[in-house]
Amino acid sequence: MPSGHFQIPETKDGKRGRLVTIFGRLNEEGKKRVHYVFDLEKPDYFESVLDGEQPVPSIAVSVPAACWYEREIHDQFGIEIPGSPDSRPLLSHENWPAGFHPMLTPGVERAPWPSASERSSANEYRFLKVEGAGIVEVAVGPVHAGIIEPGHFRFSVVGDTVLHLELRHFYTHKGTEKLFQGRPVMAGSMLAESVSGDNCFSHAVAYCQAVEAAFGVSVPLRAEALRLIGLECERLIAHVGDVGALCNDVGFSVAAARAAGLKEDLLQVSTRWIGTRYWRGVSVPGGLRADVSAAATADFARTIDETARRFAELAKVILGTPSVQNRFDTAGVLKRQVARDFAVVGPVARASGIDIDVRRDHPYGGYSRSELKVPFTHYGDVMARARIRIEEAAESTRLIQQAVGYLPEGEISTPFEPDQKGQGHSAVESPRGELFYWVEAGGGLITRCHIKSPSFQNWPALPFAVVGNVIADFPLINKSFNLSYSGCDR
Amino acid sequence: MILDVIKNSLAAPSRLIPVEALVGNCQGSRMPEVRPAALTTAAAHLAAEVCPTAALAVERRDERLQLKLDYGKCIGCGRCMEVAPEAFVRADRFAFVGVSREALIRYWEVPAGTEIVAANASESVRAEINTLMGRALNIRQLDAGSCNGCEAEISALTNPHYDLERFGIHFVASPKHADLLLVTGPVTRNMAEAVRKTYEAVPEPRLVVAVGACGVSCGIFAQSHAVVGPVSAVIPVDGYIPGCPPTPAMLVAGILRVLERHTPLAKRKQP
Repeated sequence: MPSGHFQIPETKDGKRGRLVTIFGRLNEEGKKRVHYVFDLEKPDYFESVLDGEQPVPSIAVSVPAACWYEREIHDQFGIEIPGSPDSRPLLSHENWPAGFHPMLTPGVERAPWPSASERSSANEYRFLKVEGAGIVEVAVGPVHAGIIEPGHFRFSVVGDTVLHLELRHFYTHKGTEKLFQGRPVMAGSMLAESVSGDNCFSHAVAYCQAVEAAFGVSVPLRAEALRLIGLECERLIAHVGDVGALCNDVGFSVAAARAAGLKEDLLQVSTRWIGTRYWRGVSVPGGLRADVSAAATADFARTIDETARRFAELAKVILGTPSVQNRFDTAGVLKRQVARDFAVVGPVARASGIDIDVRRDHPYGGYSRSELKVPFTHYGDVMARARIRIEEAAESTRLIQQAVGYLPEGEISTPFEPDQKGQGHSAVESPRGELFYWVEAGGGLITRCHIKSPSFQNWPALPFAVVGNVIADFPLINKSFNLSYSGCDR
Repeated sequence: MILDVIKNSLAAPSRLIPVEALVGNCQGSRMPEVRPAALTTAAAHLAAEVCPTAALAVERRDERLQLKLDYGKCIGCGRCMEVAPEAFVRADRFAFVGVSREALIRYWEVPAGTEIVAANASESVRAEINTLMGRALNIRQLDAGSCNGCEAEISALTNPHYDLERFGIHFVASPKHADLLLVTGPVTRNMAEAVRKTYEAVPEPRLVVAVGACGVSCGIFAQSHAVVGPVSAVIPVDGYIPGCPPTPAMLVAGILRVLERHTPLAKRKQP
C-alpha cells in the first residue's frame, strides 16, 4: 500500500489529469484508505489508493479542486492532511463535538451535543476577513428569500461591488454516505434518489450502474433505452426550468411563467407514461422496476415534441430581448483557467471552454450506441450558460425522439443475487454534470457508497464568477450555475 | 420581442387546473392503498417486511393482528405493491393531506380486512372551496434539510397550472411577513438552530405545516446520525402533508385543508 505524497497522473499527451473525486474508505481490516479518481481522457477512469492510516499530504495547492474532498475525508474519517491550505471543518458545523468522525463510529449512534464551553470561540468557523476603508461584510443565509435550499454566503463588498465571496454549506448534510452502509444492495437506489431530488433519476441510474459494474450484470436493451429517455427527459425538465428561473431573476415574468408551464407539461406527461413526475422509483439494479404505459407512448412522444418546439420559440424570444441580453451578457464570467483548476463539470464547464461530457467521453448504457452533439462555448458568462442549456435541451429532445422511435421490445430487468463481494463505479452526465458513484458491497449489503456530485465539484468555483460583479447580480449568477445544495451536502 | 411573448401567452389556452380536480388527486405520488378484501396475514407480513421506512407494520392488539399503515412514513417506493399486489395497489384518490399526525395512520384488522376507525378520526376533505376564497395568506417555505424534491414540487405551485395565488395565497421572502411556515426535510443537525430562529421570527398567530415523508417522520433519513428529527421535534406543527415528494395537487389540497381546520372562518362553519 503506497503512502506519502500522491503523484498526480497525466494523460498520454502529458497534460495533468482532471480530478474526479477523492474519498475515504475502511477496508476489510478496518484500515483507512484514500481513493483518488482521475479522468485521463480514456473511456474508463483512473483510480489509485493510498494508505490513510498515515497522514496523506495535501495536493490542494497544485490541484485546488482537491481542497473540499480533503476537508471531507478529514471530517468523515479523521485522516490527517498535512499541508492543506484550508483545514477548517467542512461537514461538521460548530454544534458537532470536536474529534467526531462519523465513518469511524459503528451503528447510528448520534454524537453528543457539545457543551457551551466547547462551542465557544475556539470552535468558531473563521471566514476570511477583508479589511479596508468602505468595505462592508454582508452575511446571507442559511435561510434565503424564496423557495430554495439553505446555505451561507459571506460577501465583502465595496459599494455594490463584490470584492470577496466565501461559501459555507453543508447545512443539509444528512450523513447519506454512512446511511448507505448496511443497507440492502437492491434497496440502495431509493436512498440515491434522495440525494438530490430534482436529479433523482440520474442518481438512481448512477447508483444502479455502479452495482451492475460490481456484479457484472448486463441490463436488457429495453431498460437501457428507457434509462436514456429518462435521463434526457430529466435534463430537458431541468434546463427548461432553469431558463425560466433565469428570466424570473431578471424580472421577465411572462417568459418565466411560460417556461414553468412547459416544465409542468413535461412532468405531467412523465406521470402519464411512467407513473411518476420525476422518474422516482423507476430504476433498480439490473434494470427498471416499472415499464412504460404502451398506450401513452404516442402521447409522450407528441408532448415532448410539442413542448420542445414551444420552448425553442420561447428561447429565441428570450435571447433576443434587449433587457435580458443586458443582464446576461458579461455577468458572472467564470474564466477557463479557474474552471480547470476547480475541475468544474457539466453545463458550467462547457460554457467556460472545457469540452467534457460523460455521455460522449465515458459512454454508458444507451449512449454507447448514440451519436451526440455536445454544445460548447468559451464566454463563461450567464448568457453562455443559458445558451448551453437551451442547446442541450434541443439535443435531449432529439435523443428522446430517436430512442422512443426505436424502443426495443423485451425484458426490462436482469434478475441477479448480489451476494458476492464486489466493487464498482459508474458515472452519469446528470443535468448538472458528471455524477460519479463508487459502490462496494458484500453479502447483499452495501459496505461503502461514495457519491461525487457535480454540485460538490462546482460550488467552490462559483465565488470566482461573482467577484467583481454587483451584489444584486448574485442571485442571477448563482441561478445560472444552478447547483444543488443537498447534492453537495449529502 | 416581449410583446410577442405576451401575445402568445394570451393566445394560449389557460392551463389552470380547477380546484375540484386537485383536491383528492394524487396522480404521480405513488402512494399505496390497501384492498381490505385481499388483506391476508401473509400479504401483511410480506409487505411490512420489505417496507424500507417501517410505514407498514403488523402489530398485535388484544390478541388480534392489525396492519398499521403510516402515510407519514411512506416514501411511495412501491415495494408493498410488488410483494403483495393483490392487497396493495396505487391509490388513485388520497385525502390524507393537511391533517393531524394521528390522522395519517390507518389500521386494518388482519385477515378480516375491516378498517379500525378511531372514534375521533372524522378527517375528511370537504371541498368547500368558496369559504376559502377571499382571504390572503402568506407562506414562507423553509428547507430544514430536504433533498430538494419537495422544493421542486412547491415551486410548481406558482406555475400557471396550479397558480396558488388564485386562493389569495402567496410565497413571501421573509418569515416576518409570513402567516404559515411550510417546512420540508428532516431537520438536520446543522439546520436545527436556523429552523428554531426562523419559527421565532414568524409573528403570531402562525401555522406550521410539515411537508414530505422527511418533514413528517424523517422518511428514509430516520436512521441518520446527522439528523435531529422530524419538524415536530424542533417546532410545533399544525398540519402534515405526506408524500415523497407530495405532488403539487396534494400540496394545494393540504394547504387548503390546514386553513380549513385552523382559521376562524372555517371554525365558525363547523357544527
